[in-house]
Amino acid sequence: MNNIAQRDSFWNKIYEIAAADRDVVLISADMGAPSLDKFRKDLPAQFVNAGIAEQNAVLIGAGLALKGKKVYLYAIAPFITLRCLEQIRVECSIMTIPMTIAGVGAGMSYEDSGPTHHVLEDIAIMRSMPNITIHNITDSVMAGAVAGMSYNIKNTTYVRIDRQVFPDIYAPDTDFTAGASVVKTGKDCYLVSTGCMTHTALQLARRLEERNIHTGVIDIYTFPINEELLIDALRGVKKIVSLEEHFLAGGLGSALGEIIIDNDLPVKLRRLGIGHDKGFCYKYGGREIIREYYGLDKGSLERKVEEFLKD
Amino acid sequence: MSGSAVSLKNKSYELRKRVLDMCVKAGTGHVTSSLSSVDIMVALYYGGILKYDPENPQWSGRDRFILSKGQASPLLYAVLADTGFFDISELDRFAQPDGMFGVHLQWDVPGVELTSGSLGHGLGVAAGIALGALMDKDLFMVFTLLGDGECYEGSIWESAMFAAHNKLNNLVAIVDRNYLCVTDFTENIIALEPMEDKWRACGWNVKRVNGHSIKDIVEALAYVRCRRSHKPLVLIADTVKGEGIECLTNNPIWHGQAPKGKDAEMARVCLLTRQGDE
Repeated sequence: MNNIAQRDSFWNKIYEIAAADRDVVLISADMGAPSLDKFRKDLPAQFVNAGIAEQNAVLIGAGLALKGKKVYLYAIAPFITLRCLEQIRVECSIMTIPMTIAGVGAGMSYEDSGPTHHVLEDIAIMRSMPNITIHNITDSVMAGAVAGMSYNIKNTTYVRIDRQVFPDIYAPDTDFTAGASVVKTGKDCYLVSTGCMTHTALQLARRLEERNIHTGVIDIYTFPINEELLIDALRGVKKIVSLEEHFLAGGLGSALGEIIIDNDLPVKLRRLGIGHDKGFCYKYGGREIIREYYGLDKGSLERKVEEFLKD
Repeated sequence: MSGSAVSLKNKSYELRKRVLDMCVKAGTGHVTSSLSSVDIMVALYYGGILKYDPENPQWSGRDRFILSKGQASPLLYAVLADTGFFDISELDRFAQPDGMFGVHLQWDVPGVELTSGSLGHGLGVAAGIALGALMDKDLFMVFTLLGDGECYEGSIWESAMFAAHNKLNNLVAIVDRNYLCVTDFTENIIALEPMEDKWRACGWNVKRVNGHSIKDIVEALAYVRCRRSHKPLVLIADTVKGEGIECLTNNPIWHGQAPKGKDAEMARVCLLTRQGDE
């Protein structure tokens, strides 16, 4: 178990890379972190504060990348994806200028900051564009590994970082190039999850296991989804449940549905996430309270999965 | 006029004619937005301001020219063809099924640095390149041509503040101040004046020039590589939308469309008449 924040694991690795290559440039839209303070202090010539101006941050990043720099952008997730979406579309998707966009605050991890700071659409929106890869980070091991992988990207990568510190589920030196991992094998059913929900899925699978429901967990951490790996993992599986802290429209469940349809997979899918009927919410008192409102708390999820398996 | 001034003026006429021919043939293209920028582009590409190498479009020492008002793509394509970046016959295929470019600017055309069409991008990207050049101690300059209507985009002012704060004195922005947008004059839509004050307040050196005087533009940029100021420079170039073809000037109806039939003939006559007068 590791208690390091995903953010710090990511930026610590980028610091190492940047210290060895002065072409690495970090653009912060006025976001700080202890790991960034070190970067700023030791490598000031490679640190740019763009201010609270995400559109310009992407444009400056594109210009620097055209000049041959390896560019990292950092801001709160909804702002560095949605505020500057059109810049990302033109410079990153159409022109294929490579940069790494690191957004902190996956899903509802900004908790009491409310719906402006929650991000429940970004996976749908970012995956709708060609030439953009999404890494939805599960734990700090993955955060560091993805930072290492980002050094050689050919296309823009959006790294979706959770604010909450979770226990690591991956061993050090895990290879994350496959984009998805079977983190627990199962027989009756698979929970297919992304980001923070993989931790929930593992807890859920263990509880179902206690009742002899052999439930596996597949962690999807990269979009587009590695179809081959998924199809292979689901061979013989009849039922899967997708779990995401994201709107159902266009998210993980939608992406799985597309793969199932396109490949005629003989598997039933139940999507568990946030429906538009619940919309945005102003609920305070922590992530679990918000999850309860959305029906994503452990009890609700367990009940929904059981009902689905009974069908 | 001196001999070179005459040849630059002729170049302006030639480019206007090419833009009109391209767009009339294609039945599309932003003719008037291109025409207002012609003399600025002649000053840059033929007046000894820009360093470029058509034989080697990716030459690392080239000045970067970023056409941010991407709707003026027919003009830049005509300039790039004329200076030898690609075959001139390509202009006949503007916005055609077998052509390599269309109405808005496309980054993969030799000599083009940035896709444009969506406004408010060029200044920020230019500032990013300029910052990268300062980091690497490169000596090339970065020029960007903005539309005045484009200055309604908030991102322009984000980039303007950024460029000044970061002392990007290797960056030059030129605003094609033709006063006209899609539906109306800028001062009727939302006043852009006093434009000089806006740029100055953002921390820029500001010069205002007659955007149809090639001589004035060349003079304003002649010593741009050895300015002592740390500030980026903006040239506000007062122009006329449709300049050179009187029947297309100053009328919003001609934004974003090419004249057809009798209007096209009239435009040709206007252009010739203007050339004859000079």
